[in-house]
Amino acid sequence: MEIATSKGARVWLTVFFWLLVVFLYLPIAFLALFSFNAGDPSFPLSGFTTHWFTDVLSNDSLIGSLRHSAVVATASSLIAVALGVMVSFALLRRRFFGKPAVSALVFSPLVIPYLVFGISLLLVFALVDKVLTAWFGSYIGLGLHAVVIGHVVVALPYTILTILPLLERLSVSLEEAAKDLGASSRETFRRVTFPLLMPALISAFLIAFTLSFDEYAIASFLAGSQETWPVFLFSQLRVPSLLPQLIAVSSLIFIASMLLVLSAEMGRRIAERRYGSEYAARGFI
Amino acid sequence: MTAGLLSAPMLWLLLFFVAPVVYVAAYSLGAIKLFPADTGVISFDDWRHFLAGGSVYLGLFWKSIRISLTVSIVVVLLSYPIGYFLALCVRRMKYVLLLLVIVPFLTSFLLRVLAWKVILGDRGILNSLLFSLHVRSPDDPISWLLYSQFAVMLVLAYVWIPFVALPIFVSLNNLDRSLLEAASDLGANRWKTFFRVTLPLSAPGLLAAFIFVFVPTIGEFVTPLLVGGPSGYLFGNAIQDLFTRGTDWQTGSVLAMFLLLVVAALMALFGRFVQVRAVTSD
Amino acid sequence: MNHFLTERLNRRGFLRMAGASTVGAAVLAACRKAENVGGGATGTSGAAVHPPIGQEPGNLQVFDWSGYGNGDYYPDKERLGLWQQYADATGDTPQFILFANDDAGYTKAATGAVRFDVVHPCFYKYRDWVDLGAVQPWDTSLISNFSSLNPKLQQQGILDGKQYFIPLDWGFIAPIVNLDHVDVKEETFGILFDDRYAGKISWVDTSNMMYIGGLFLGVSNAFDMTDDELAQVRDFLISKKHLVKFLWNQSYDFWLSFKKEEVWIGYAWPDTVGYADAAGMNYMYMTPKEGRVSWVCGMGLAADTENYRHAHAYVDSWASTKAAEFLLAWYYYGHTNTEADLSVVSPGVVAALGLDDPTVLDPPKAIPESYIPRRDLYQQYWSEVLAS
Repeated sequence: MEIATSKGARVWLTVFFWLLVVFLYLPIAFLALFSFNAGDPSFPLSGFTTHWFTDVLSNDSLIGSLRHSAVVATASSLIAVALGVMVSFALLRRRFFGKPAVSALVFSPLVIPYLVFGISLLLVFALVDKVLTAWFGSYIGLGLHAVVIGHVVVALPYTILTILPLLERLSVSLEEAAKDLGASSRETFRRVTFPLLMPALISAFLIAFTLSFDEYAIASFLAGSQETWPVFLFSQLRVPSLLPQLIAVSSLIFIASMLLVLSAEMGRRIAERRYGSEYAARGFI
Repeated sequence: MTAGLLSAPMLWLLLFFVAPVVYVAAYSLGAIKLFPADTGVISFDDWRHFLAGGSVYLGLFWKSIRISLTVSIVVVLLSYPIGYFLALCVRRMKYVLLLLVIVPFLTSFLLRVLAWKVILGDRGILNSLLFSLHVRSPDDPISWLLYSQFAVMLVLAYVWIPFVALPIFVSLNNLDRSLLEAASDLGANRWKTFFRVTLPLSAPGLLAAFIFVFVPTIGEFVTPLLVGGPSGYLFGNAIQDLFTRGTDWQTGSVLAMFLLLVVAALMALFGRFVQVRAVTSD
Repeated sequence: MNHFLTERLNRRGFLRMAGASTVGAAVLAACRKAENVGGGATGTSGAAVHPPIGQEPGNLQVFDWSGYGNGDYYPDKERLGLWQQYADATGDTPQFILFANDDAGYTKAATGAVRFDVVHPCFYKYRDWVDLGAVQPWDTSLISNFSSLNPKLQQQGILDGKQYFIPLDWGFIAPIVNLDHVDVKEETFGILFDDRYAGKISWVDTSNMMYIGGLFLGVSNAFDMTDDELAQVRDFLISKKHLVKFLWNQSYDFWLSFKKEEVWIGYAWPDTVGYADAAGMNYMYMTPKEGRVSWVCGMGLAADTENYRHAHAYVDSWASTKAAEFLLAWYYYGHTNTEADLSVVSPGVVAALGLDDPTVLDPPKAIPESYIPRRDLYQQYWSEVLAS
């Protein structure tokens, strides 16, 4: 690589890179440090303790919000992946009129600011409830189901972007061969396509899950009394009476997401061995 | 068969994406009102009032643009050397190091903002460190660190750098090395090669990176809420407040639709120069 | 000390100002509006038959501020003080839905975005809630502690001739200052706009700042300002905004900052006084020359609730002396129950809140937070202050 950079430049670049990495991780390191600090998160340190972590376990609303987020993220990711597979198949394996329009539609949620989208869903739900109350005397109301609906919409482009490339690479001839051997469409999908798609499906699920778990704007408008984790976290950030507990949980979550990413990376390496380096280069990123 | 495949996704998007957006648009035009005691008549009054600068909100919009622009430029400038370093100077640990940079982006956004709130306060980590080192006295902390426009920009930059390094890296990584060799053979020194070969060829990645951060931050409201203070109030905050504090949803819808249109226009504009798939796949 | 509280609560002065004038005006306004409001919303409850409590679904939905039972500030004490009696009587655990402030709560209800059984707004919004048709009158015969509540304050909750709200907690709005750092020349709301203390001031994050500004600028009626006056207040607030460190929504947010001395001056409720007193700070809770603003908040019953009797049991729990003593001891808020034991409060707080001063609620020392007819306009101007 001597063409691109001189030795001197390379030294500077290396220094810059590692300084930036330190900058990126320092706040997170502080969080981890202060999750063991006995007092407020400021210097000087007040002594080592692990009771923040045990306090977290007895904090019902905190645990509850994590649970709500897990439920919402799982549900919305599963739906988003399922819908993503359908759209990917339709776009790649079928011919029909209006493909560009459909394409534009499924990717347009990428454009909308979540703030605007959350508000618009709020308005629609309010309207639906008004109508239902007037006609049937019952209502649906806001809540986790509304958040799931919103998250599916915003996750859909990402799942499609993940599944589409792999589906493209899978040779159509494999499916044709299966059909020649007498398998029905459904069987072909179940026994040939689906297993081959698995890495992309898992990636898509993980991306959608991460997106949903951390999503605040939409959830803040649509969650009713059952807060999701980001909504809970946000409300507590403005009333920092539980700051050390939040810091403790954040360290745990960060470790969990690091492990998640590491396992995804390992999955990528496995896929690399299976499908060759071209796929691996794209990976799930 | 196609209809069957597409029916579920299309229905979902139509019901839960298109309809809501249309509904907000209708709101902004006065076709629907919160308390339908007055008749809903389509009027452009609210739009005219907003666009003509009659209210403070247009000025607020430009403030948000200014801040987003600053953040985006800074972020791209900082991320470019990262992408360059990883793509062209590193051979073996390339993807591992890239992962190292990206991983923070995959952790909770709110938690990262929380970390900075803890660091920047008057009695936060940074200031208390300065106190204990006797650089500053406890009566005189650096107070513009938190609850300021500076805080908003710093946190936004911090949040987006990991994400933005990716498209830059991808475009630099796909650079045809032979072009660089050719330039060198033709007698260009490294700076010239950089400015006349590398930089132009990586421009799509640069542009994509810029869009990736510029577009979402225009509507940013969470960061200002947490670290912005009164002076860090941005356009997104105005939209949120209009819907949650008062009942003036007409103005709120106008602002929301305006934001949506601006974002859509920007994406369409930049979309001509950048192929989304080209950047993410190869 | 008991009789001082009783005496003060019975003060005709308070009634004269808060009760007679405002309720009277409200009743007059209500008579005019009564034609517009449909019969269903303000219908008598006598006609409806309410099923016995065993047939109600339970799971009472309480729409309230943070720290009023949901456990954000004192997890156990809030429960024990405010709703343990309810839980014991009904075996039900209430679910809390929080609002950031009165305006946000009202907006959520107006849009139908929240389902609740009981709501806890403050006096100046009672009219809005009734007009919305979201609340129905209480049946005070179902509230055993009702007779212990100060009758003159209960009048505040009567709109259109019906007891829509049960006033329960009350307090003040006034500046609190850290005397170690602030030199007080005069007790006035103007300390919130004092150029000497740039970056050390905190305002509340609601359109209430508009009427505070109005009070300081000396308008005739801060709760019903003219367009010119509103514009004047807006421009004034915009000119002073740079002095503000941050705007607070929950009182504890402000307290933590005040305690750390990040801010020295703030728009504050009495709970901050209590915390400051307990922490041994050198503070002053002002009696501004414009008058301390006083607020009274109360419980409302949802018009479409299925937990009619549960709701009444909940209010009964809130109306008890136990609840009164909790609010007094931990938040330094007043309570309308006249039989509460005042010795739970420290002398420092008594002095700061004027609990032993029979005239503390009389004008010109106190100004009740009153119904703001043009709330939307106040909100609009406040949005402009924020956005500038």
